Order: sequence, then C-alpha cells, then structure tokens
Amino acid sequence: MSREDYISIRNTSKHFGSVKAVDDISFNIGEGEFFSLLGASGCGKTTLLRMLAGFEQPTLGNIYIDGQPQAGVPPHQRPVNMVFQNYAIFPHLNVHKNIAYGMRKSGLSKAEVDRKVDEMLELIKLPGYGARGAHQLSGGQRQRIALARALIKQPKVLLLDEPLGALDKKLREQMQLELRALQRDVGITFVFVTHDQEEAMTMSDRIAVMSLGKVLQIDTPTSLYEVPQIKEVADFIGTINFFDGSIKGKEGDSTVVTAAGLGTVHSTAGGAAAPTSGDITVAIRPEKFNLSFQQPNADRNVVEGVIQAAAYLGDRSHYYVQVEGRDAPIAVAAQNAERQMQAITSESHEKVWLTWEQDFALLLTA
Amino acid sequence: MSDTQASSLTAQKAAEDTRGDEAPQFLQSKHEGYHWSAEAPMFLYAVWYLAFLYIPVLFLPLFSFNDSIYVAFPLKGFTLQWYGDMVDNPALLRALENSVKVGFSVAVGATFLGLFAAKAMTRYTMPGKGPITSFIMLPLVVPGIILGIALLVISNRLGMNLSLFTIGLAHTLIGVPFAMLVMVSRLEGFDRNLEEASMDLGETALQTFLRITLPLAWPGILASVLLTFTISFDEFILAFFLAGNEVTLPIYIWSQLRFPNRLPMVLSLGACVLVFSFFIVTFAEVTRRRGVGPQAGGAI
Repeated sequence: MSREDYISIRNTSKHFGSVKAVDDISFNIGEGEFFSLLGASGCGKTTLLRMLAGFEQPTLGNIYIDGQPQAGVPPHQRPVNMVFQNYAIFPHLNVHKNIAYGMRKSGLSKAEVDRKVDEMLELIKLPGYGARGAHQLSGGQRQRIALARALIKQPKVLLLDEPLGALDKKLREQMQLELRALQRDVGITFVFVTHDQEEAMTMSDRIAVMSLGKVLQIDTPTSLYEVPQIKEVADFIGTINFFDGSIKGKEGDSTVVTAAGLGTVHSTAGGAAAPTSGDITVAIRPEKFNLSFQQPNADRNVVEGVIQAAAYLGDRSHYYVQVEGRDAPIAVAAQNAERQMQAITSESHEKVWLTWEQDFALLLTA
Repeated sequence: MSDTQASSLTAQKAAEDTRGDEAPQFLQSKHEGYHWSAEAPMFLYAVWYLAFLYIPVLFLPLFSFNDSIYVAFPLKGFTLQWYGDMVDNPALLRALENSVKVGFSVAVGATFLGLFAAKAMTRYTMPGKGPITSFIMLPLVVPGIILGIALLVISNRLGMNLSLFTIGLAHTLIGVPFAMLVMVSRLEGFDRNLEEASMDLGETALQTFLRITLPLAWPGILASVLLTFTISFDEFILAFFLAGNEVTLPIYIWSQLRFPNRLPMVLSLGACVLVFSFFIVTFAEVTRRRGVGPQAGGAI
C-alpha cells in the first residue's frame, strides 16, 4: 500500500512582506496520487508549488517529502522535478540535450543516457525528434519535452505549474487525457497547479481548492462537486443556486429548512453531521432539479415558477425559472432527451414545477 | 519591400481598378500616407545634419591620400607615402601595441565585472540596489577631466607608478557601465525560469551559470568586449592624465600634432582607426541584435 503522507505539508506559511501568500496550510499527498492545487490567481497555489520545488523557503512550518524534511534543501538536491508554465526549454540546446540535461550527474554512460533519452522520446510520442532545435517546436511539443526532461530524472514527485495554459483548447483537452494516462503509466506522484476547474476535475485523484493562501477543501472531484463543504467551494466549482434559509428541526433522517424561494425544504444531505439549528444556505445544482410542465405528484420539495429565460445548447438546455420569494431566477439545466424541449423559449413564459431529491439540497453553513 | 516594388504594386492596383474615380496614377505611386509637403523639410534637415556630422570626418581619409604636407585644397595628387611612413614608425607601432594591450585587458576586465553586475541587477533583490546601480553608472556622467584629475591624485596618494596599468584601471572604470548596460539588456531578454529549470534538474547555481546563463549571454558578452575595447582604444583624457613613460595611440597622435610634417601621417593613422572602430562597433551591434532572435527567450 502506498503511503498517504508521501508529501506532508505541515503548518506551512509563506509571507512576502505583509502579504500571506500561503497561510498556515497542513495536508498530505499520497504516493502515486494525481493531486491538483486549484484556485484563482493569487490564491497561493504557485507559491506552494515553488516551496515544494525549493525555489521559495517557507516562512513558517516545514514540508516533508518521503519522510525527509525539506527545510534548507536547495532545488538541485530535492527529489522533485518541475514542468514550468512556459516550459523553460533551453533555447541553445536541441531536444536531445534538453532532455539529457539533468543526467550529467547520474553516473550513466553516454550510451545509456542516449538510450534513456530515446525511451523518453518514445514515451512522449516524439520519436526521432532528438536533433530538432528548441525553436523548431510547437507549443504542444515543448510541453511534452519539458515533461520528458523532468521525468527522465525519475523524481519522487513531479510538479506541474499550469502546463496546459498556453495550449489551445483542443490540444489542451487531448493533453489532459495523455497526461493522466502518462501519470498512471509512470506511477509518479503529480502535483498539478491550475486555475481551470474542469482541467482539475478531469485529471485529478484529489483536488485542494485554495483561496487567499488557505486550503478550503481537499476532496475527490466527485465529492467537491456533489458535496462541497462550504459556500465558496460550491460556488467555485461549477454552477449552483443558493437560497437563504433557517433550520426548523429534524424529521426522521431529514433536516427541515425554510428557504427563501423554495418554501419548506426537506434535506438528507450531510447525514448525521448536518447542522441542527440556525441560519443556513441551501444549495442545489442546476441539473439536480427536475422540471415538469404538469403539477407533479409530490408533497414535499416542490416549487412553482415561470420560465423567464431559456437557452438551447443542443444536448441540454438552461432555464431560468422565476419563483416567489427570491429575486434572482433559479438556474436549471435539463438534458434534451425529448425533442419538444426545443420549443420552450424565453418568450413562452411557461408555468413549470421544480422538484428535487432530498439529498441534493445541500446545507452549507459558511 | 523596396520602394520600387511598392510603387509598382500600387500602380498595378490602380490599373486594375476599373471604377475610374481613382486619382491619376502618378499620384497613386506615392507611398500611402506620405506627405511631401510635411516631410520635405525634415528630410532636408536630416541630410544636412548627417553631412555636418560626417563630412569633416571624411576629410581625414581624403587628405591621408593627398600628396602634400599641407591639409588644404586643392588636392595635389594621390600617394600612399603617409601610410608607408606610418608603418615605418617604431614609436607609433609601440603606441599602437600599448593601446591594443590596454584595450584588450579593459575589454576582458570590464566585461567580466559588467556581467556579474548585470546578473545581480536582473536576478537578485538586495538592499540599496538603486544606489549601487547609480554608483556604477556614475563614470558615464562625470566629466573625463574631473575623473582624470581625481584618479591622478589617488594614484599618487597610493604611491602607484603611472603606467599602462593605471590607464587600464581608469578605462575599466568607464567601461563597466557600458558592459553592464549591454549585459542587462541581454539577461533581461531571457526567461529566468531557464535558470530555475536548470537548478531543478540538479545543477548548482555555479553550474547553471556556466551551462545556461553564459551560453545565452554570449552574444552580449561579445558585444560588450568589442564595445569596451573601442572605448578604451579611443579614450584620450584619462590616458593623458594617467600615462607614464608608455603612451597609448591617442596620446601619441596628439603629441605628433606639434610637427606639421607629421600631420599627414597622423591623418592616415586616424583614417585607419576610423575604419577599424567602425567595423568593430558594427560587428558588436550586429552580434548583439542577432542574439536577440528566437534563441533569446524560453517563452513561446
């Protein structure tokens, strides 16, 4: 079984003057994990990555990699390698020499290094590119070579600083899948920094959502989306509707809440850990609503409204449903499995009913 | 695209246009957005300015081929005698040798110091960085004669004998700011991630400097060597104050001006220096620019 604290970040802070770029963060990353640091720019994710690489020293706290404290260990002695945002391909060296750059102290003979470089070129699907000059490469090729140059060192951890940011959309999506497959093949722990939630969701085993130097939540992509712990995370990942509410009590397994715009809500989200009193925010994802044109046969978790706006997106449609007691309309997403859904437009102002399952109404305290 | 190509294309375009409401072709052939009325005075000014700047200099080579010891029109006839005199003059050759020696030492020394200064300026943050930079740049604005006197006083105080060595030190002093400026622009031109990537791949700061920084800074280094050599080679005032028994070429030239019959030889020497300097500076600039091509940055 692989270790769960392969990388251990313990009470780590980084201050730049009065700015706390990273503010007392503690968490572990497991061996062989594809772990993403997700957040808007300035949230501290890159600073944290640079501390792992050794380019920045923590102001407070310490970082352990494979049990070894990294305080004071310079970048060139750390068992990690990095893929830079702009790839940092050495412009005066050809592809072969770029990839072999870190092998000088490996103790391998030139023939062995050459063979390893060729293996790496196979791995990144650029065989025979060794003699190419650095300036003859496309963005995607640079990205792969940066990857090969780091992986040839067989690091314990590979750090990736938004490596797909400079690629166009189609190539980026292709590289996401390739990168994920590559990570499974080589089995190296990846720490991936991105501001793109879709990218993080596609590739990661676990994601740490960061904001203002703090980690808000660490979870699997599914859990982050389905059961975010706090409002900020729910808001950052995907689209969600918030309703101000207050808890009225318990009724069997479910918590009873009155929420502005939804009336009385019965929720089983959170299980036993759900709060039992006080003000709360009810949060429901757009696709968790069922939209119907006839009054449904439900006695709870149903609300009546009017379609105020509709957007037909082909496979699915987005509706904005105005309900009583809430200023903003509720965002609803529905799959267009049936063709007549196209006919619903913003002008139709049709009367609709929204229903939802008990466990889809999330109860968020902050 | 050359002017002729441009105008023929415009003419072609006008000819192809069948609407007939176009202006006549001879007006069309002017560059687009080009207004003679507005730009003619500027053009004349530029011609006049360049003539004023360079014609006096061109008299130097002109009279160096003139078969007369008097620098005056009309020209008498063509001769290479003065160039011959120049080559046969051991004192002159000795001064030339001194100048090359000093120039070469200065080029290496100033470039060496300038490179590290530039590295510090572009890569590190440190207290007092602004004042330190200004201090390094100071010799650029202090008048040579003041600097010369100051250095003479200091040399005397320190008990240093005036020699080519003292000239070299003074020239290094004024060469460093130039070297640093050339190198700063070079180092700023490439991505500092390249150096980080090298350290990330297992090289120390020194090895990174040798394997990454130095090769990438190379065009800047060459440009700096050539530039500082030229500065030292042409410099007169500091050399005049700090020279001992051995003189450099500019001092020798100046000393010869007292003898009218030596003047033509000095002219031919001047012409040689002119041509030599011109080539060195051009080469330095071309190298510097060529280096800023696709090689320079790591970013796409």
